[in-house]
Amino acid sequence: MLSKLINLDRRIIFILVALAVIIPTLLPLNLPINVSNPTQRIHDYINTLPAGATIMIAFDYGPSSMPELNPMAKAVLRHCFDKKVRVIGMTLYPFAPTLADTLIKEVAEEKGAVNGEDYVFLGFRPGYEQVMLRMGTSIASAFEKDYTDTPLTEIPMMKDITNYDQIDLILDLASGSTTQIWITYVNVKYSQQIAAGVTGVIVSNMYPYLQTKQLIGLMPGYLGASEYEKLIGVPEKGTEGINNASPVHVLIFVLVVIGNIVFFIQRKREE
Amino acid sequence: MKRQVPLVLCFLFGVVMCFTQFSPHQYSQTVYNEVINWALIMAPFALIFGTITLIQTHVARIRRRTEHWQYSFVVFAGLLTMAFIGILFGPQDPTFEWLFNNVQVPLDATMFSLLAFLIASAAFRAFRARTFEATLLLIAAMIVLIGNVPVGDLIWNTVLSWLPWDNGASETRQWILGNPNLSARRGIILGVSLGVISQAIRLILGIERSYIGGGD
Repeated sequence: MLSKLINLDRRIIFILVALAVIIPTLLPLNLPINVSNPTQRIHDYINTLPAGATIMIAFDYGPSSMPELNPMAKAVLRHCFDKKVRVIGMTLYPFAPTLADTLIKEVAEEKGAVNGEDYVFLGFRPGYEQVMLRMGTSIASAFEKDYTDTPLTEIPMMKDITNYDQIDLILDLASGSTTQIWITYVNVKYSQQIAAGVTGVIVSNMYPYLQTKQLIGLMPGYLGASEYEKLIGVPEKGTEGINNASPVHVLIFVLVVIGNIVFFIQRKREE
Repeated sequence: MKRQVPLVLCFLFGVVMCFTQFSPHQYSQTVYNEVINWALIMAPFALIFGTITLIQTHVARIRRRTEHWQYSFVVFAGLLTMAFIGILFGPQDPTFEWLFNNVQVPLDATMFSLLAFLIASAAFRAFRARTFEATLLLIAAMIVLIGNVPVGDLIWNTVLSWLPWDNGASETRQWILGNPNLSARRGIILGVSLGVISQAIRLILGIERSYIGGGD
């Protein structure tokens, strides 16, 4: 019995995982969400910005991380457009332009935000540090045109924006190491305020920067997205996602506990 | 000469760029901006080199008939189709967007979501409290795992309601990430940073020459 349990066919585990995802997708859970301090700090910072302030959102992720990071982007964009905070979108990831452009347009349409006045999407430029450092002197020298090929000089909201001096916050939505690069090159050199929304797997890397306040706040994966959605009062994909992920987490927890109980019983018998 | 020129250039640019970080003088900043411009121009070449390497690798796979060599044709089909449409009509072209949304997004999402199944299976098989250190790691991982979803606090507040504090799962997770994890991460960051600094000095001084090929 014990050896059967310890050598459990992995296909059974796969079926259990599938059920743990499918059942809450069909029968949605509505679990209470407690907002953590790092997410609250981003929300509070944006909340205190006056109308006409500008934040830059770096969409540094590809389609594989969309489920975690798109809900964050949506929630922050909604918050910004509601507060009349202008948004500059850009990306350092070659896979991101299409998904970022689609997402910004979708939220802008919902909130009645106007391209070129309330928001602009600059698109993609290769090179990480080089683009970040270049924007420190002049954004237009790194991105001469926006994603729709309109020269930056012809975009009304970019008329009074030259470099980081006119940007109140950079939010990096990342699935890789770009947040550390933003901190190293832009926070340290230009004293620019930076916040991050990252996938669950890299959350632990960010905590040293939170403590030093090089990051003003942090949205951790699905949890961060759901927390921000709660803060703006629009529960959507992030909330749905974290509710669906809950049974899988419990399942893995239970599997590890069972695995260890069996392991200890077996070891005791062998002794 | 072939080896000395890169070494001299590396030394020169290394020293000058370090200097520009400490001097706000107008000339120093002009040099800094100029070099950053050069770097920005060079960055796209990395993409070109990447594409060339990808083509070379897959051509070699097809020639040698290595295992699953047929899939290399799929790589070329994808590469050529996206490059053709993207370069000719731009990334905002409806066909380009359709291919991205209906081919790349589902493929990427599928690859990533398979991880959940593999992690669950691997955790069941491999995550054992064999030693004291492994036990500590296991306990921390389990708290973070369960504290990372709202059901963790729900269980805590229901099962452990007799305890004097609420939302213990997420609070403990936050404490683990903000204290032991932070301390360990900071140690790693400091170690890596010191390594990077020493490697940069070796490169600038020409002690480390592997980047020009052919060993020392």
